[in-house]
Amino acid sequence: MTTTSSQPLFDSAFLRKLDRLALLTRRAMVGDIQGERRSPRRGSSVEFADFRPYVRGDDIRQIDWNLYARMERFFLKLFVAEEELTIHLLVDNSASMDWGDPHKLTYARRLAAAFGYVALSTLDRVTVTAFAAGAGAQLRAVRGKAGALPLFAFLQRLQPGSAGDLADACKRYARTAINPGPLILCSDLLDPRWEDALRALGSRPFEITLLHILAPQELRPQLDGDFRLLDVETGEAVEITADLETLQRYQDHLREWREAIEHFCHGRGITYVQVDTAQPVEEFILTMLRRRGVFR
Amino acid sequence: MSFLTPLALLSALIVGPLIVAMYLLKLRREERRVSSTFLWQRMVRDVEANAPWQRLRRNWLLFLQLLLLLFLAIALARPFFLTTGISGRNLIIIIDRSASMAATDVPPSRLEAARRQAQTLVEQLPEGGRATIIAIGGQMDVLAASTTDRRQMYDAIRSITLNAGGRSDLSQALALATALSAREPDSEIAIISDGNVEIPADIRVPATVRYFPVGQRAENVAISAMALQPGPAGQTLFVQATSYAPAPVSRRLDLYLDGALFNAYELNFGSDGAANAVQTVIVDIPAQVRVAEARLSAAPNSDFLPSDDRAWAVSQTGAGTEVRIVGPGNRFLETALSLLPGITATKTTTPTVAGDAGPQITIFDRVTPDVLPPGNLLFIAPMRSTTLFSVTGIVDFPLLRPAPIVIEGQAPPLLRNVSVSEVNVLRAMRIETGIWARTLVEGDGSPMLLAGEREGRRIVILAFALQDSDLPLQVAFPLLISNIIGYLAPGSGLEASQIAPGQPLVMAVDPAVTAVRVVRPDGRVDAAQIQGGQAIYVDADALGPYLVEQVRGDQVVEQRRFAINLFMPEESRIAPASELRVPQVSGLQQAVTREQVGRQEIWRWLAAVAILIVIIEWLVYQRNSLTYLRQRIRLALAARRRAA
Repeated sequence: MTTTSSQPLFDSAFLRKLDRLALLTRRAMVGDIQGERRSPRRGSSVEFADFRPYVRGDDIRQIDWNLYARMERFFLKLFVAEEELTIHLLVDNSASMDWGDPHKLTYARRLAAAFGYVALSTLDRVTVTAFAAGAGAQLRAVRGKAGALPLFAFLQRLQPGSAGDLADACKRYARTAINPGPLILCSDLLDPRWEDALRALGSRPFEITLLHILAPQELRPQLDGDFRLLDVETGEAVEITADLETLQRYQDHLREWREAIEHFCHGRGITYVQVDTAQPVEEFILTMLRRRGVFR
Repeated sequence: MSFLTPLALLSALIVGPLIVAMYLLKLRREERRVSSTFLWQRMVRDVEANAPWQRLRRNWLLFLQLLLLLFLAIALARPFFLTTGISGRNLIIIIDRSASMAATDVPPSRLEAARRQAQTLVEQLPEGGRATIIAIGGQMDVLAASTTDRRQMYDAIRSITLNAGGRSDLSQALALATALSAREPDSEIAIISDGNVEIPADIRVPATVRYFPVGQRAENVAISAMALQPGPAGQTLFVQATSYAPAPVSRRLDLYLDGALFNAYELNFGSDGAANAVQTVIVDIPAQVRVAEARLSAAPNSDFLPSDDRAWAVSQTGAGTEVRIVGPGNRFLETALSLLPGITATKTTTPTVAGDAGPQITIFDRVTPDVLPPGNLLFIAPMRSTTLFSVTGIVDFPLLRPAPIVIEGQAPPLLRNVSVSEVNVLRAMRIETGIWARTLVEGDGSPMLLAGEREGRRIVILAFALQDSDLPLQVAFPLLISNIIGYLAPGSGLEASQIAPGQPLVMAVDPAVTAVRVVRPDGRVDAAQIQGGQAIYVDADALGPYLVEQVRGDQVVEQRRFAINLFMPEESRIAPASELRVPQVSGLQQAVTREQVGRQEIWRWLAAVAILIVIIEWLVYQRNSLTYLRQRIRLALAARRRAA
C-alpha cells in the first residue's frame, strides 16, 4: 500500500502535454507582482479598462491627450492590470491517504504536481502545503518553470503522517494564507468534520477546487464474511458482517455522502471533482479536469 | 411420546457444544485495516437502530444448526407414539374381502377402510419386519408371503378387490397364520374385518391376534331369496326380503319382469331378529317371463350394502334332466326324485347298451352293469366289482360318521344340510376304489359314501342299499338325493339356476355342441370352456342374470339362464362385530383390539423437517448469492422492459 517516493512523478512526455494546459480562473484575483493573470486592479497591460478624471498626484504619463484635445480636461486612461496568481495546493497526507491500491497519496502527489507544474508554466506562484499531524510541510511561493524542480522534489519527499484533523488544518491555512487565489484541495475528506474544513476555506476568497480522492477499495469494497475493521488513523474498530446487503448499504451511504459533499460545494462555488484512483492520473488530468473546466 | 433408542439423545449433548464452540471460534473476526471507519460507522449506526433483529440474524446460522442437530438427535432416538396397532416383527394381516365389506357405511367402502388400516399396520412394522398378507372371502389368497419388501406389501394390499362370493371363513387363514407364526417367535396376527367371519373353535393360535374392526352401521335390508317356479297359472314368483337393521324400517320392493316394471310393494320390516323382519312376496306372473328382477329402494344413508338390494330369478320352463334308474325298483328313490323339479325319471331293469345319447344320469340300484353307459353314474349297493371299483366284502352294522376330511374342511356340496350320524345301517358293501374317489361318509373304516370324477364323468357310490337302512325315513334322505342329483347333473334343476357369486357356471352339454356363449349381465359375451361334456364358465362374479347359449355350427340349439344373487344372510348382516373370539395359546380368548401397543414412529417426519432446516440454512448461508441473483434478475427485467 505504501509507495516508493523515489519514483518520478511524471515522465517528460506527460510534462510536455501539461505545458499546453493552463489553469482557468473564473474571476480576476489580486496578486502581488505583475504576471499573466487579469487582476481587478488597473495596471499596465495593453487592454483598455476605463477612464478616470485626473487628480493631483497622478502619473501624467497616463493622461489621454486625445481626450484632453476634445474635452479640454484631463483624464487618465486606465488599463487592466495583469498580475501573477498564487496557486494554493493543499495535499492531505494523513494516514488515511496512505492507503488504497492505486495508492491515494501518490495519486494526490501526482495531481498536485500536475497542478503545480501547470501553474508554474503560466508564471503563477505555487504554494504547497501538506497538513498531516507529524508530517506537516510547506513549500512557499515557488515561481516560474525553475520552481518545478523544488516542487517535484517537495512532493516526492512528502511522507504520510499519522492522524490529521482536516478541519483544523484548513482553518489554520485559511487564517494564515496570503494572496488568496485558486486553491486545490487533494483529500479523501474521510473526516466527520469535512464540512467545517470546507467552510473554513470558503471564508476566504479562494477559488476552491476539491479533488475528492477515493481508492477503488473504498468505492467498491470487496469484503465477504465477518470483519473487524480498524481505522488506520484512530485505531478505532468497527465490527461488520459483510454480506451483499451490507455492502449495498455501504454503497448507498457512500453515494449519499458524496452527493452531500457535492451539494455543499455547489452552494459555495467550490468545484467538486470525484477522483477514483483506479483511473490513471494522466487520463484523469487530460480528460476529466478539462471537461470539468479546471484546465484549459 | 417415548424413544426406542434414547441414548442417541446424548449425541446432541456432544455435538451441540461442539457446534457452539466452532461458532465462537468462527466469530473471531478477521481484522482488516481500512483507510477510515468513517463511512462504516455511519452504516453501523444505521444497523444498530434495529439491533436485536441484527444480533439474531448474526446468530441465525448457529440457531439453525442447533435446531438441525436437535431434530436429527431426536430422529436418531426414534420417538414413537403408542397407537392401536401392532408391535410384532412378523406380521400376518388377514383382510376380509367378503361381500359384506362392500358396505358403504365407512366411505367409500369398508374394504377401502380395511386397506387403509392394513397400510397403517405396514407402516408401523419395525425396520426389517416381515409381513404376510392374506385375503379371505371366497377362496383364500396369500398375496404377500413373509416379505420384507414394503412395496410388495403395499402392492398386495392395493390388489385386494371385493370377492362377492363365498363366506369369510377364517379357518384356513388362521391355520396358515398359525403355521407361519409357530416358526417366528415375535409374531402377530391382525384381522381386519367387519367381524362377520367364521372362526374355527378348535384352533389355538400361538401368536397375539389383534382384531381391527371396520364398519359402523348395521342398517341393511336384503333380498334373501327369490325363485321363479312353474305354477298353476303360468309361473309363481317368490321373493323374500329380510331386514338386518336394528330398528324397524320400510322399503319399496319393485318387481321387473323382463326389464319392465311389473309391480311395487311397500314392505314394513321389524327389527333384526323379530318375526316380521322377513317379508315375503308371492305373485303369479305370466308363463312367458324369462327373467324377473326385484329391487329394494331405500332412502339415502339408510341401506349400506347395495349389492344385496337387487336379485334376479330366471325361468326354468323347458329345462329338465333325464334320470334312468336301473334296478329291481325302489319306491323311496322314485319318490325322492319325483320331488325334485325338472327331473324326469325312467325305470328299466337292465341297462341299455351304450351307443345312443342316453340319459344324463344313470342310477344302478343294487345291480352292476357289464358295460358302463355314458353319463354320470350313481351306484347304490353295487353287488360286484366294476372297472371303477372293487367290492371286497360286506360290513355289518357299520356306524356312519362323516369322513375326517369332511370334518376339518368345509362341508362338501353333497353333504350340505345332511346329517348322517343318526342313520342306522344293517349291512353295507366293502368297497375299494382308486384315488379318484373321495370318501365323504365312512363306517367302521369302510367308505359308505364316495364321490369323484373319473374319465370325464361324475360318479357317486352309496355302499348300502336303501332298504337295508333307515336313511329313507330320515329328513336327510331327500336332501341327500337332491344334493347327489345336483352334483351329478350340474347346472340343472331349480337349485342350479341360482348360483352364488364366484361359483363356476357348470352345465352338461351335448358332444355335438361346438361353442358355448355366456351373455353376462352387463351385455358382454364370453365363451365358456367345454371339457368332457361339460361347459364351464368361471368368471361369473358379477351379480345378475346370465344367459348361456349352446351353439352348434351357427345355430343356437339351447338357451339356459342363470341368476347370480347374493343370497347370503351372513354377509347381508353387516352389523360390525366389536370383538372376535379367537382362542390363543397365551390363554387369551379374545382378539385384542383396544390395547395401545402399536408404535407409530415419527422419525421420518423429523428427518423431513431436518432436511427442510438444512435447505433453510443453506439459503441463509447463500443469501449473498441470492441477493445478487435477485438484483441480476431485476436488472434483466428492467433491461427487457426498457427494450420493449
